[in-house]
Amino acid sequence: MSAFSLYVDRNSGLNRLNPLTMLALIGFCLVAGLALPGAWAPYAVFLLAILPLAAGGRVLRPFLSAALKIVLPFAVSVTLIQGLFWTGGTPIVHLGPLSLKREGLIFAAQSTGRILAVLGSFLLLALTTRTDALMIALAQHGAPKSLTYIVLATLQIAPRFQAKANTILDAQRARGLEVEGGIGRRVRALIPLTIPLVLGSIVDIEERAIALEARAFSRSGPKTSLLVLRDSHMQRIGRWVLVGGMIAAVILGIVLRR
Amino acid sequence: MIDIQGLTYTYPASETPALNGIDLTVPEGQLCAVIGANGAGKSTLCYAIAGFVPHFYNGTLTGRVTVAGRDVVATPLAELAGEIGLVFANPFNQITGARFTVREEVAFGLENLGVPRDDMLARVDAALALVGLAGLGDRSPYALSGGQQQRVALASVIVMRPRVLVLDEPTSQLDPVGTREVFETLAGLAQAGGTTVVLVEHKPEWIAVHADRVVVLSAGRVVLDGPPAEVLAAPELSGYGLAPTRYTQAARLAVGRGLAPGDRPLPVTLEQAAPFFTDRVSP
Ligand SMILES: Nc1ncnc2c1ncn2[C@@H]1O[C@H](COP(=O)(O)OP(=O)(O)O)[C@@H](O)[C@H]1O
Ligand SMILES: [Mg+2]
Repeated sequence: MSAFSLYVDRNSGLNRLNPLTMLALIGFCLVAGLALPGAWAPYAVFLLAILPLAAGGRVLRPFLSAALKIVLPFAVSVTLIQGLFWTGGTPIVHLGPLSLKREGLIFAAQSTGRILAVLGSFLLLALTTRTDALMIALAQHGAPKSLTYIVLATLQIAPRFQAKANTILDAQRARGLEVEGGIGRRVRALIPLTIPLVLGSIVDIEERAIALEARAFSRSGPKTSLLVLRDSHMQRIGRWVLVGGMIAAVILGIVLRR
Repeated sequence: MIDIQGLTYTYPASETPALNGIDLTVPEGQLCAVIGANGAGKSTLCYAIAGFVPHFYNGTLTGRVTVAGRDVVATPLAELAGEIGLVFANPFNQITGARFTVREEVAFGLENLGVPRDDMLARVDAALALVGLAGLGDRSPYALSGGQQQRVALASVIVMRPRVLVLDEPTSQLDPVGTREVFETLAGLAQAGGTTVVLVEHKPEWIAVHADRVVVLSAGRVVLDGPPAEVLAAPELSGYGLAPTRYTQAARLAVGRGLAPGDRPLPVTLEQAAPFFTDRVSP
């Protein structure tokens, strides 16, 4: 069982940034990738900002492998489907009785670019920033406790679910249930799995809430933190510059689209 | 330290009370073991001492629960946290997941209490040493065995210096090695003194050696209450769905077969069993 976290400690410059600065950087990439017009804007943001940042954070390899695993299948299917079945478009490539339409391909390129920019941004954040540090930083700046709790609970669900599912599967298998084999058989094996899984998870959520409460999670008043977050005057200025950049990108996007 | 008077509690949407007229006083520094069959109300009693009954579960409560001088029913949970520590069976559910390392995990409660960082570091390291995890502070809590995780949970609570520690079957999901680790930690804690401990536990051999007192619950009532040697050897124990220690069982068998005289108290620990079986009373 492990915590659901992609973070890799590379002792890089990005690792040492205040999580809020990282958040501002990612926010800028996201906004610029989505707000600027044209099919190529998200690609430009990806190539000129996100990729160099991943390289600078020394996470290029896990970054690319995760990004490709998700984006590639999406790109292929959206290109084929939109390219082949775009109604009333201009055919540019003929494949026997079928043809790829220009408008469909542009649409596919556009949506792939957006996915790339959005996914790349979040992936970069996850790979370079500790969730706990981010939560502490947000809490120090007055983010509500419920936000922390929701993030926490969400991060906990995946590993817990998986561990539980394995336990239950093992137990069912020990009682002679077939869990390997064809699709039909596997789906049938899932049914006795889900009920204990869901019921057990409700009990878990209750217990976790009690455990958090027993450690004064909802206590009001000033909190302290064992983890020391670095911050600097430069970073604070940098964050405001990035926020300014986001606003500029949005305005530029509106102006250029006219 | 704990003073419970006429406590009756019914869960919402439930007909019968889970606790029914409980009177229980636990003095400071006592290690009080609570045993009872499934559904007897042991967990509910733990929750009532820690305030989760009624604050978290709602339901109807009558009677009075006073812990460390505070009226539990009238005090909000956030204020009870830290004064009353609670550890339960599943180690995984007690790890917040909010922190990366064991040291930070243990510090979580102190952060919420606003303890200054320097104090925090010293207290966390002391708590880790107490539970025998001194070398593992920089590990991820998820990279530990069940027994180690449960000791992290224990350290996370101890570090807040609660006046009362409530443990609900803390070893029931651990293997024998993990169980021994947790028990040894508890024994060390009891020896260090001061903390009042309420421990729900099923292993009578362990209770017999370490508990100052044993309370038996059945259907939400206290049915037996006394020193371990008395309660654990009581003939009515099996009527409440509980097994006596191996030593008591063997002694009872020996008496039944005329191999040992029946006029002596039955042993509940190995220490008591040895003379019981070897000191033959000459006829
Ligand atoms: N959340 C709940 N809602 C309703 N009834 C409950 C709840 N938890 C426990 N009970 C009931 O209260 C009684 C005592 O339960 P519990 O304190 O968990 O017993 P024990 O820990 O001794 O096994 C049982 O009859 C149980 O069914
Ligand atoms: Mg219970």
